Amino acid sequence: MLVKIKRQKGMGAEPYWQTFSYDGERNVTVSAVLEYLNGQENLVDIDGMPAPHIRWACSCMQNICGACAMVINGRPSLACNTFLRDLDDKILILEPLSKFPTAIDLTVDRSIIQENLKRAEVFLGEYESASVKDRKKNGKQQYSVAKCMKCGLCLEVCPNYKKGENFFGALFANESYLLHSQSKDRKKTLKDNYKEHFSAGCSKSLSCQDVCPAGISTLTTLLNMNHK
Amino acid sequence: MNTNVQKQGREILIIGSGIAGLTCAIEVAKSGNKAILVSPYPSERSQSVMAAGGINAALNTCGENDSVALHVKDTFDGGCGIASKEAVERLCADAPDIIAWLESLGTIFNRDENGNIDLRAFGGQCKRRTVYSGASTGKQIVTALVQEARKYECGKRIERRAGRHFHSALIREEDGDKVCYGALFYNEFMNRLETIYADAVIMATGGQNGVFGKTTGSTLCDGYAIGKLFMQGAEIKNPEFIQYHPTTIETTQKKMTITEGARGEGGRLYYLQDNQRVYFMEALYGEKGNLMPRDIVSKCIYQAPSQVYLDISFLGKEKIQERLPEVMELCQKYIGIDVSKESIPVTPSVHFFMGGLAVDNKHRTNIKHLYAIGECAAQYHGANRLGGNSLLSAIHSGRVAADSVYNEENNLTEADAFAIQKYFECYIEKQKEVLFNRQEEQQRISPIRFRRELANVMHNQLGICRNEKDLEEGLSKIEHMLNTVTYVTPDSGNSPYQAYVIEAMVALAKAILTAALSRKESRGAHIRSDYPEQNDLLYYAATIVSWQNGSCFVRYEREDA
Repeated sequence: MLVKIKRQKGMGAEPYWQTFSYDGERNVTVSAVLEYLNGQENLVDIDGMPAPHIRWACSCMQNICGACAMVINGRPSLACNTFLRDLDDKILILEPLSKFPTAIDLTVDRSIIQENLKRAEVFLGEYESASVKDRKKNGKQQYSVAKCMKCGLCLEVCPNYKKGENFFGALFANESYLLHSQSKDRKKTLKDNYKEHFSAGCSKSLSCQDVCPAGISTLTTLLNMNHK
Repeated sequence: MNTNVQKQGREILIIGSGIAGLTCAIEVAKSGNKAILVSPYPSERSQSVMAAGGINAALNTCGENDSVALHVKDTFDGGCGIASKEAVERLCADAPDIIAWLESLGTIFNRDENGNIDLRAFGGQCKRRTVYSGASTGKQIVTALVQEARKYECGKRIERRAGRHFHSALIREEDGDKVCYGALFYNEFMNRLETIYADAVIMATGGQNGVFGKTTGSTLCDGYAIGKLFMQGAEIKNPEFIQYHPTTIETTQKKMTITEGARGEGGRLYYLQDNQRVYFMEALYGEKGNLMPRDIVSKCIYQAPSQVYLDISFLGKEKIQERLPEVMELCQKYIGIDVSKESIPVTPSVHFFMGGLAVDNKHRTNIKHLYAIGECAAQYHGANRLGGNSLLSAIHSGRVAADSVYNEENNLTEADAFAIQKYFECYIEKQKEVLFNRQEEQQRISPIRFRRELANVMHNQLGICRNEKDLEEGLSKIEHMLNTVTYVTPDSGNSPYQAYVIEAMVALAKAILTAALSRKESRGAHIRSDYPEQNDLLYYAATIVSWQNGSCFVRYEREDA
């Protein structure tokens, strides 16, 4: 199998493509493929030319931490949760996320995610204890959105998210919902910021839901936030 | 650095932004000081998010007459008596308040039909005591702490600096004492070394997975910071006590934990003999056999005559989806097993480090102004940690360290601060030279090969069951590695970080092997086939290892003595 990777030596450097041959196991994830290539002391490309090892970010390797977000065969995905067996193509094409500045190879600087959550002051304030009935109603969605990895896949796929200047995307909407549904004193601020930085710019393509590795239903968040 | 003798207005450097580091930063901010929170990645990538099963607190909401005293007893006994009793008492007493605090930050916990926080049974505990959020408790807590920390970031009491790897501490000898004034970091994106001076430095860098290669934890927790500080004079405690999680599954890329919650909900362990299921844990230890402490379960699985399986299918799909949804997803995705119909093949894997930087009950190391919290510190778990106590100790230790720092005397004058920065100039220049010259070195050994060899030694010569001959062989291999480590050089595709971490990781491995060889008994997670009995006469104490000129020195110290 061929593995084609869009590479970059450092911030601001020109990107270039390099292709490798992979002859390891097939019933594995893309992160296992990257580990396999990087496990070779003297890595060579398809033409036998020496190639530097491939820089990519990973931590948990099991779909919890969001470190290994990248574009795999055109689709924003986590490398640790994408299996070769599920890809239709005969070639594996890896690119860094395009909506964040590329650092080195497949690693990108996603700090804008935290910046924007801070900019919109997304925090709880005073906690309001919920009734048993409300917990039953909201608990499942709250639990689900609290699993957001801040990986940025929802921003990568979103037709409305550009560079995060004013529209902050699905991960922001979901976190806003989580805190709005539990806050006693900041409901209004959270809602106002949600409107300004999300609902005003969302065209409801819901592509964010298709790529979310935590399976978060942003639609449920929208229904809750828009009706309250 | 701040030259003010006031307790407020200080700058506290916290290294690592998992649950321990986050908690500590929040507490430092609350007390009116400033926390500088440094980590290579944001908190969402920390290993804390992987903690699945729960967090222990004697809330006694299940009508089982639980109490803090029983929590203390289970924790202390589970650790085979060598942890600090006083520290364990404070830990367990703090637990109910910690849960109330987490609740007030909006952590989503599972609840019973009356809306009270639900509890599940966990290993080594006489009562149901484990507060949980499905099987993603750590992640749920991180989400709550991150938003709380964000509040203080907006108020400029917490300053986050991501994208930085720890390099070394700034330590000066003063009248025979070592004193820490800050740390150096490698900024990966900018490819440069950065200095941060602070009034105190708190390490929250997690466990030592990197020394063992593939483990259940995060690849980011490589043990480097512990090893480096060890080489800089910090003492290590109990490094031979390494927890193997009894029930993990293996995939090509890693070992994945099947949470103890699965057994807490009733899951049963068995192996097959003549096509009959042998529920060996129940046969050996009775009804609660599947929930014995982890050291015992791991040892029994290791000694089982054939593949061991974990069965939760009888719980039914509905209950599994309600209480253990992540277990279902994980097994389906990575090993293609439907846990509502089939059993899970399990094996023990390296999971947690009871040992780490030696700290006292205030979380001070032996170096002044240097603290350690969370998994990188050794304090509460003795020879074996109970499931559900690591999230608890991460949060508790963060609180304790923040309080200690607040109450610490610190009366530097401006002239002192200036002199200190002057003193370190030379050290910092030297480190830059070493780091960047290394990048250009021609003759090289690949860090990849070195790390693979290191992991092999730790698995083959240490492992679950140890003996003198293997340990000595392991030590001689480690010695050889230490002699060749200066040739380790990254290629242009590796980060310089990947190369400079190696030596300290090998030094840490040496401490682990030395401690394992020295403790000639079996206790908790330290199992010696040549010394199968516990020997309280000689070893009813913590192991303290120090490093001097490349050699490890071991002594035994009773906590609370």
